[in-house]
This record gives sequence, structure tokens and C-alpha cells, in this order.
Amino acid sequence: MLSTHLGPSGDLAPWAVWLALVLTVASFAMLLVEMRRRERGGTAIALSGLCAVLALLAAVVRPARVSARESVVGARVVVLADTSRSMALEPPDGPRWQSRDRAIEALARASTSARLTVLGFGEGAPQPLPMTLNDRAAEQRTTRAAHSDLGTALRELAASSEERPAAVVVVSDGRLDDPPDEASEASLKALGDAVHVDTVATTRDAPPDASVRRVSAAGAAVAHVPLPLRVEVGCAGGVTCDDVTVTARELRDDGPPALLASGIAHVKDGKAALDLTITLERAGARIVEVAIQPPPGDTIPENDRRLMTFDVARERVRVLHVAGRPTNDVRALRQWLKSDASVDVVAFFILRTPTDDVRATQNELALIPFPVDELFTEHLPSFDAIVLQDFDAQPYGLEKYLPNVERYVRGGGGLVMVGGQNSFVAGGYAGTPLASVLPVELDGAPGATSADTSPFVPDWTLEGRAAPLLSLLRDVVGDELPLMPGANVLGDVRPGGVALWSHPTRTTKRGAKMPVLAVGEAGDGRTIAMGVDGAWELEFSALGARTAGRGHGALWDGLLGWLMRDPRFEPAQIEVAGGCTAGLPSVVRARLLPAAPEGKPESVVLDVTRIDKSQAPVHIEAARTDQATSVELALPPLEPGAYTARLQVAGGGATRHDFACEAGGDEWADSRPDPKRLEALAAATGGSFVYAGEAGSLPLPRPTIVSAERHVTPVAPPWTWTLAAALLLGVHWFARRRSGLS
Amino acid sequence: MRFPPIAVALVAFSLGLALFLSAPRPAQAFGDIGAFDPRVLLTGNQTAAARATAPARWSWELVQRTSAPARLRPTLLRADDPAIVDAPFLYWSGDAEVAALTGAELTGLRRFFALGGVLLVDDAAPGARGEPSAFARSARREIARALPDTIPVALGVDHVVFRTFYLLRRAEGRVEGPPSLDAIVRGGQAQVLFSEHDLGGALARGASGTWEQPVTPGGDLQRERAIRLAVNIAMYVLCSNYKDDQVHAPFLMRRRALSSP
Repeated sequence: MLSTHLGPSGDLAPWAVWLALVLTVASFAMLLVEMRRRERGGTAIALSGLCAVLALLAAVVRPARVSARESVVGARVVVLADTSRSMALEPPDGPRWQSRDRAIEALARASTSARLTVLGFGEGAPQPLPMTLNDRAAEQRTTRAAHSDLGTALRELAASSEERPAAVVVVSDGRLDDPPDEASEASLKALGDAVHVDTVATTRDAPPDASVRRVSAAGAAVAHVPLPLRVEVGCAGGVTCDDVTVTARELRDDGPPALLASGIAHVKDGKAALDLTITLERAGARIVEVAIQPPPGDTIPENDRRLMTFDVARERVRVLHVAGRPTNDVRALRQWLKSDASVDVVAFFILRTPTDDVRATQNELALIPFPVDELFTEHLPSFDAIVLQDFDAQPYGLEKYLPNVERYVRGGGGLVMVGGQNSFVAGGYAGTPLASVLPVELDGAPGATSADTSPFVPDWTLEGRAAPLLSLLRDVVGDELPLMPGANVLGDVRPGGVALWSHPTRTTKRGAKMPVLAVGEAGDGRTIAMGVDGAWELEFSALGARTAGRGHGALWDGLLGWLMRDPRFEPAQIEVAGGCTAGLPSVVRARLLPAAPEGKPESVVLDVTRIDKSQAPVHIEAARTDQATSVELALPPLEPGAYTARLQVAGGGATRHDFACEAGGDEWADSRPDPKRLEALAAATGGSFVYAGEAGSLPLPRPTIVSAERHVTPVAPPWTWTLAAALLLGVHWFARRRSGLS
Repeated sequence: MRFPPIAVALVAFSLGLALFLSAPRPAQAFGDIGAFDPRVLLTGNQTAAARATAPARWSWELVQRTSAPARLRPTLLRADDPAIVDAPFLYWSGDAEVAALTGAELTGLRRFFALGGVLLVDDAAPGARGEPSAFARSARREIARALPDTIPVALGVDHVVFRTFYLLRRAEGRVEGPPSLDAIVRGGQAQVLFSEHDLGGALARGASGTWEQPVTPGGDLQRERAIRLAVNIAMYVLCSNYKDDQVHAPFLMRRRALSSP
């Protein structure tokens, strides 16, 4: 738009123009006062005086013609729309996301003179929202954030290098993580960063709902140590709650959920808190379900249970070391176990067999009965790992407890069977429940050979060379291994197991090299089969002397560490990026160890299985590209529940990660909207608060006029103004004289 | 129909043989590499242990009385033999002064100790009351050269070596000697045990099956106690401080109380 108007000369400062105007008006006023002393000719004096001061003013401001191309620019208004999962809640009056989208549309219609930028907030910096709102197809994309972090969104907006908004409009249900419920007015004001924040509440009333609003643990979870939990239960929307039953159960893949604790929450004023104490026996990621028995009228069943993932640590690794007879190998392992302050060893060695002639009475012996009953029943769950070394199951009555050991392993325990003349097939383990959890098959067929007594040096397998659990040993001994006096005859490696050392000459039934050291998983637990009893020669041998005996400790550091899922010995680290939300696709991100240089492309296989119920597993395969150290694998939408992800790289050992998928998670835990928090935010920053239906009435900032191509042309040369002023002053002087003024 | 007795016997024999052959064969021992081996340490001009038959008898007694495997033909090796580091135990006995160890012998012993090996120094010629012989004195001198900055201390009856298998009240050998054993303790482990009881003398037994040395003053009972000490030392080598574990404590305290005079 082209516009033309008169203005002062461009070299004058605005204050100078104003000063000239003031002096002009003052001069004329004084003239009018002075005219009371005149004798005659008042009109002539006033007219000439007015002309004279105007001419003087014109001589000072030197009028110019200003022509410019001007445009009206609407104020920038940023609309921050809540994209958290709580917007997907569908109370009786319709989904919150629909209310949000309608409010945004109303704002867009009402703000013809403003520039609206619609961003979504939830996690981290605000992100642009899709242009097509109020659309079911867009719903999933705009209601998937696991948090409602408005604070971070506002701070990111303030720190952005883009044009500063004239106003911010927040459209949300008010159930925010940040600012928190108890935020002070000062902290709310600081969020606005000198920009007023208008707020639009999508929802007015709470839906009829009883829920587990919050589960908090007092400290970190440690295996075998009681962990206090505080469970907060809430009822809203007209649901009548009185006493609500709360249960805490561990979801396990080796059987039905294990009840850890239960209690009654006495609800008063719509809320209650209940303290429960749970004890998790197994270290690693454990999924605990905290659930309520919902009262009648509950409309959101998804938040009646929460799935909590606890990363259970170990205070100390508790190991049961059972040896069938004392040998140099038993000595070496015991000394290593006892040398590690983080390992709590309970040891039982068979020092006397029924055929030994001790030539002494019982009281002269320092021998105690082997408490096989107690150890393998009531105390079994208290151990993190069991080492059966050269131990024969039959003479000591262990056979009847082997099903317990199998359950213990499948439930998450660790088991190592170390070779010797009483191990594996010779120990009577073939065909037993325990054999089913070992990483190798045992041939208990008639005529089967149980041991090969010819000395040999084990071969490293390809997987053994790459396995992180043997990296410490390889750092010490390189490729060299000591001469072993013989080996237990082991069968093929079971599916999912990995051979790390193999026999140089013996083969299995299927023609593979006989495994000598193998690792594998069974259910929730891990097992190791070491078919030799010569590992102590990593300490006492020429090789041991050259390496200061460090090889034996390095071997067992890796084996026990892997058994206990020490991240140092895992072939990969995996996580579900951004968490898993039921019904939505998610991504598993795996950080991998460096691949062998110039190696073949490695396969990455991910299997996701349901922990809490039987369901077809999800199987995903991908190829690792070159030296990539991370891989992302897309998971299809999963049902709510607990899952185990197992990742295998290049057929090596599996890395396990347990995770939970919830329909709403924290976002649905408290389904009540919180318009008061939005109102407080608006009040603290000088903005306005409305409900979604009145979004169009929000007062938005006025537009700004911007001029372009401005041309300034003097109306007349400066000297003409000065000349006119001199002439008019002369006329005025003449009129005064004529009227009797001086 | 009746079968002739010979046919029944043949069928029964065949079935028995088939069953015997079809059962999984028990594992052969993986040699005896990991078994207790009272390896005889030789230094200087020594060519054999002072009690040459004692180590084998020691192994035999261990095998008869306990579940521990042992080498019935113990090896002899010199201190400068590289194989000194091949197993965790050495037995050094003598009845005469030993020559100063050579540099190679000292190096061998140091490598052995560095790996955590255990050495029993057995004085084969102590006085009747356990007065150390020239061997014992010179052996201590040489051990002090191999392990400088260490000093032997007396192991009382509360030390685990007196309860690794048998509950013992004191140390005894061919001679009664002092009630305790002396030891150099490193890293919590008794790495060098000094016996001034001629333990080998109590163990030595000839090919004819007779004991080679009389045991004084306790006769056969004292010999039995000496054998028990030898068994305990072998168990200490194989199990280290296993009997110090807390799980054994209440049992052993009760038995000590019961067996108190």
C-alpha cells in the first residue's frame, strides 16, 4: 500500500520537532495575553502574530513530503498444543484431542490479523504439528508423547533464534509434568519470559475413573532386599471408592505372576496412599505390576494397573559353590571367588565319600553334613548363581532337586557346570531337568562316552574370539590356552547357545566340533558349561607364570560377569527409544560393539516375546552395515504387557532387555484435567484463560505497520521558509506599532 | 516248555553283559593333573626327599581317607626347574644343612610364591623336643632370601590348617615337637609352613609295609595324629580356608566342645 503525507525534515530529531511546536504554541499564547494592553487593532495583531510564529515553525521544521510503501504485519502468535498421551483419553464428552483441535481452529479463524504458528509440546523442544488437525489419522501423531513438559517447550521457545512471539497460547488439559502442580507464581511468571501466555483448557470435568495414580519406590531396588513402595490411588468423576484392594505382582516368564504384596487403600476425599513392601530376588530388569480392583462405574480400565520396570541391582553377588571333590581346579576357583569382595560365597565341598576310611570318630572330624535339602529348596532363590564343579548328583541326593534347579535357572538364576570326572554325563545329569537348561546337549544313551582323557589344547571358536565375556582373558593370554588333561564329552550346542572354546579333534553327533566351553540362556536365566577341569592351569603353568596367573581370574571375571548380566560383557546394549506405548509402533535402539575389521556383514536378530502371557513372538532381522555401532529396529504396535527383547549379533550370545508397554503410562494415571493450573499460568504471565469453546474470544496482539521504499521531498527550499518568516515578523511588528504595542 | 539250565544261564549272562555295556561309561579321571601332588623340592646337592617314601604314602593316606585325588607317584623337581610353577604345592624336607640357593633357584621359588603356591618345609632331623636341625635353620635362611621382608609366625590351633579335615589340637610328627606350626603368611594365606616334627618320618613306609621310623614318644597314636596333620595340610592346599567359612562355625565349635577333655 502506497501512502503519502507531510512530515518534518529528516535531519530533525523528534524531540526538536516537539520543542518547536511547544515554543510556537507558547509564543502565540503570550501574544494573546499581551494583547490586553493594546489600544486598537486586535484582529490584525493576532493574525499577523499567528502567521509569524507559524512561519518561524516552518523555518525550523522545513516541511517535506513523505511517500512510502507500507504493509500491515500480523503479530506472531505461537500456539503450543498438548500432544501428550492424556489427550487421547476419551471421556464421555469426546476425546480431548478433538477439543484441542477445535480450539486451535477457532483461534485460527479469530486471528485474521495475527500469524499463528502451531507447535506441539510434550517431550523436549516443541515440534510443528501437522496442518490437518481434528483428524483421526493425525490423532496418533499428536497424542503420543509420554510427558506433558510445557516448561521445557516454553524455555526452548524463548531460547530460539527465530522471531520472538508477541504472545503464546497454550492449549492443554492442564495435567502437566512441568510446571508442576505446586509451582509458585514467580516460577510461572518466569516461564512467560516477558511474553504473556494465554491458556485454553480443553476439558472441564474429570471422567468417572479410579486409577493407580502414582507408584514411587523409596530408593533403588536391590536383590533380596525389601523395597518399600508407596502406591497412590485416586477416584474421580463421581466414582464411589471406599476400600480399594491393591496388589503388587512380579511378571515372570517362567510361570504365573508372583504376588509380592497386597493391601487395602482407604480412599478419602478421592485419594489414598498405601505403603507396600516388595522383595525382588533376581537382579536385572524386573517388571512389577501394581493393580487395583476397580470399583463399579470406572470408565478407564487401562489405568487400573501400572507396569513398573525396576532395574534391580546386586549388593553382592551371592554364589553357591558346590564341589564334588577338592582339586587344584576347585582351589583356584574358590580362591578367585573369595578374593572378590563383591562376591558372597557359600561353599560346600564333598571332602569324604561313603567309601573313604577316615579312621576317626565323627567328633574328631571337621566335616559337616551336606545340607542338600535346605540348599536346593528354601535357600535356592537367595543365590544369584550356582557353580556345580565336578559334582555327582546321584550319591548326595541332588537328583530329586534337579527340577528345582531347572526352575531356578528359568526364573533368572545363573548356573555354571564345571567339568571333571563327576560332571555332565558322568554325574548323571543327562536326561534330567537340569540338562535341559544347559547350553549343550548331554548324551545319556547307552554306551555313550562321558569323557575323553586325552590331553588337548582347546580351540577358540570365532564367537569365542569376539565374545566380550572372554575379552579380559584374551587381553591376558591372547590366543594361547593351556594344555587340558581331558574333557567331558559334551553334545551339540542348543539353539541360542554359543560355543566359545571347542575340542580340536572330537566332534558331536551332528559333526560339529565338540564344545568345551559354551554359554546359553534358558528362560530368564543363563548357564555356562565348561567341560574341562584344567582352568586352574591358567594360573599354574608356564603360561600362568608368564601372565602372573591373571588368566584364571580374567576368565572367571568374564564368565561370572556375563552370568550376572554385567553390561561390560554384553555384546550389545539395547533400549526402547522413548519407551513403549501400547498400540503405537516403537523403536528398539541397539548399541553394538565394534565389528571385526573387514568382516562379513553381520546379521542382527531381535526377538520380542511376551513375559506375562503366551503370545506369538515378534522376530525382526536386519543387517549391520559396515562398522555401524548402533542399529535401530522398528517394532510393530504391541499390546499392553511385559516383554523381553533378545538381540543376537552375528549368531553370538544374546543380550536381553525387559520392558513394559502401557496404554497410557504416567499420562493416564491421573485422568482428571487441571484447568486451574492453566488459569494460574495465564494470571502469572498477564495472559487470559478460557475454555476451548471460547478460544475464538482470546484477545490477540494487534498487527504492526511496516514501511518500505520511503521517499522524503522538501516542500520548498529552506531559504523560502526563512524569508517568509522574516517578512511576516516584519508585518507583525508593523501591526503592533500601529496598535500601540511596543 | 522248559529251557535247559545252560541256556538260561547264557541268556542271563548275555542280558547282564548287554546292560553293563549299554550303561553310560563312567568318566575316566582326567589324568591326575589336578590332583594333590606332594612334589618334592630339591635344592643344591639334594637328590631325594629326606624320607623318600613319605610323599607317596602321604598321597595314599589322602586318597584312602578323603575324596581328594592325589598322585601316588609324586614328582621330584629342582627349584630351578621351569616346571616349579606347574602346580600349587611343594614339599621340601632334609636332615642336613642346605647350600645357599642359586640365583636360578631363588627365581624359581619366587615365581612359585608369586602365583600363590604353598611350600611345606619339613625338618627330618629335629631334636626330641623339636629343636631345629641344621636343615631347618638353613631352610629358613634361604626362604628369607626368597621372600625378604617376611617373617615366620606361629600358627596356633585356631588356624584353619588344624581343622581342614580332622580336628587337631596340636602339630605332631615323628617327634612331638612344638605344638604349633610356623608359617609365612602372605595375602591371608600361609604360603610357607615350617614343621619341626619330621612329618615325613611319621609317614615313611617301606615297600615291605612296615613303618620306616619309630614315632616318639606317642607311638602309633602319635603317628595317626601326624598322618591326620598331613591330610589336613593337603586339604589346606586344595581347599585353602574353606573351613573358615561361617557355615562350618557352629558345627566345629560344638565338636571341639564335645571332644574337650
